[in-house]
Amino acid sequence: MTWHAQLTELDDATLMFRVRDGDRDAFAVLVKRHQKMLLNFFARSGVQYDCEDLVQQTFLRLYRYRERYVVTAKFTTFLFLLARQVWIDELRRRKRHERLVDGLAAEPPPEQVAPAVADATASGGMDLEQAVAALPEGLRDVVELGVYQDLPYAEVAEILGIPVGTVKSRMFNALAKLRAFLEEK
Amino acid sequence: MNFATHMNELAPADAAAFRALAGHLRAAPEREPSAGLTDRIMAAVDAERARRSRFRAPAPWWGIAAAAGLIAAITLFELSGRSHSAQKPVPQDSGTAWLAESQEADGTWSPSKHGGSEAYRPALTALSALALDRASEGFAPQIQRACDALAALQGADGAFGGEGRARLYNHAITTFALATLCPHHPALKPTLDRALAFVSVRQTPQGGWDYEPGSEGNAAVTAWQVRALACAEAQGFDAAKIPLRKGLRWLRSVARDDGSIAYHRDSTACSDGLTALAAYTLITAGKDFPGLQELGRHAAEALSAAPEKSAVADCYRDYAKVLAFDSVGANAQAETVRKQMHVQQQAAQPDQWAKVGGRLYTTALTALAAR
Repeated sequence: MTWHAQLTELDDATLMFRVRDGDRDAFAVLVKRHQKMLLNFFARSGVQYDCEDLVQQTFLRLYRYRERYVVTAKFTTFLFLLARQVWIDELRRRKRHERLVDGLAAEPPPEQVAPAVADATASGGMDLEQAVAALPEGLRDVVELGVYQDLPYAEVAEILGIPVGTVKSRMFNALAKLRAFLEEK
Repeated sequence: MNFATHMNELAPADAAAFRALAGHLRAAPEREPSAGLTDRIMAAVDAERARRSRFRAPAPWWGIAAAAGLIAAITLFELSGRSHSAQKPVPQDSGTAWLAESQEADGTWSPSKHGGSEAYRPALTALSALALDRASEGFAPQIQRACDALAALQGADGAFGGEGRARLYNHAITTFALATLCPHHPALKPTLDRALAFVSVRQTPQGGWDYEPGSEGNAAVTAWQVRALACAEAQGFDAAKIPLRKGLRWLRSVARDDGSIAYHRDSTACSDGLTALAAYTLITAGKDFPGLQELGRHAAEALSAAPEKSAVADCYRDYAKVLAFDSVGANAQAETVRKQMHVQQQAAQPDQWAKVGGRLYTTALTALAAR
């Protein structure tokens, strides 16, 4: 109990070093600490019912990449990079699957286009969170990282692989679209 | 720079509007992770560690390890003929006696009295009845009362109760149990007919079952429905034939090249418990369909009998592993998992699904997995 309490007081970077050395409990602390953040990251991306699967995939990837983590990168930056890659891979896999499987052709595309958003837009009943999910991916990412997670723009830029100036312009455009949506409503 | 400082650079009207917007966004309620998420993630990490350690051999020690392994293999081969007959199976403990004593007057078992959830009363009653049926003998009155109680729980639509997730698990497990028990309890036939009708109604056009709207199926609940259908078909219920065929086809669609079984068709999520149950189901229910048994065997081969390092047991996973190992003739691996289950039950080790099934579930599954 005492040992676990000590672990929970450690910062993310120290825990990652312990994970690299094979400390399973340290990894469990990281999972508990960040799973909610990742769950909401995927939920706000428009995923309907596979969010926890994707959270699991992100942590598995984090575990596999534990030796690549360097303290020069902030832990959450590293984690979001992995989460974003998991999401991109998932979208690719689903698109590939759609092309290959005849049976899926007649089905509505799974969560990637947030069907609830499309329906709600048509009926005029879309709320703000759904509007965020309906933003183009590039704009939604900066809102997720810059507003919800309140990350410094330099980190957002690093995660998304774009200049800080682009983060600023995307943020402006995203908020302008959301504002227009609210005003129309 | 962050959002706050960025806003300072904008025109005051824009900045004020955007700050208010951000306030609305941040104030929105967030989703909470489900109670078992951390454990599931850690179980997946443990499985990953186990898989990697199986394939990793430190190069400098490889020669020594290979030589030692060869000597050990020869020794074991020589001993196997003598020791096989002396191998002690895990004894079936007093779990079934406890189950019999714990039955309620109405024939069901009460999950809430034993740490589980009332939402799963039909499924836990069904598992308890199956466990008693599998025991040597002497529990006929209890099993009869359980059958009567389960039939009484059936609603007008053929379902056995519960909402959402619980409804489909209750239904599949209860239908499976009643189909298993039907030969000695022919009065169950009308109940089973209605139960099979409900299974068919809830099957998605793609052939799976799920409790989440918009899904074509998830492998966990689909495997149970397929088990129920296969058992019913074997007892002569023709209504099971077509949904069984469709269900097996859907289950085949979630099998992946590495042997694991995906939770959803498009999902990357999987677990040993899910893979094991699906493997067993494909092998036993798919025997009349080309390629399904091979697929099931491939899935079973991806499983490890090595003990999980998690402090939390998973009786459900272990039960499924025993079924899968037994179905491919991997007797030693099945026995290893049985021993783990027995030890965990004796130690009353906390279980991942304790809040759902409590002691009824661990006792019944351990009894069902016993040799």
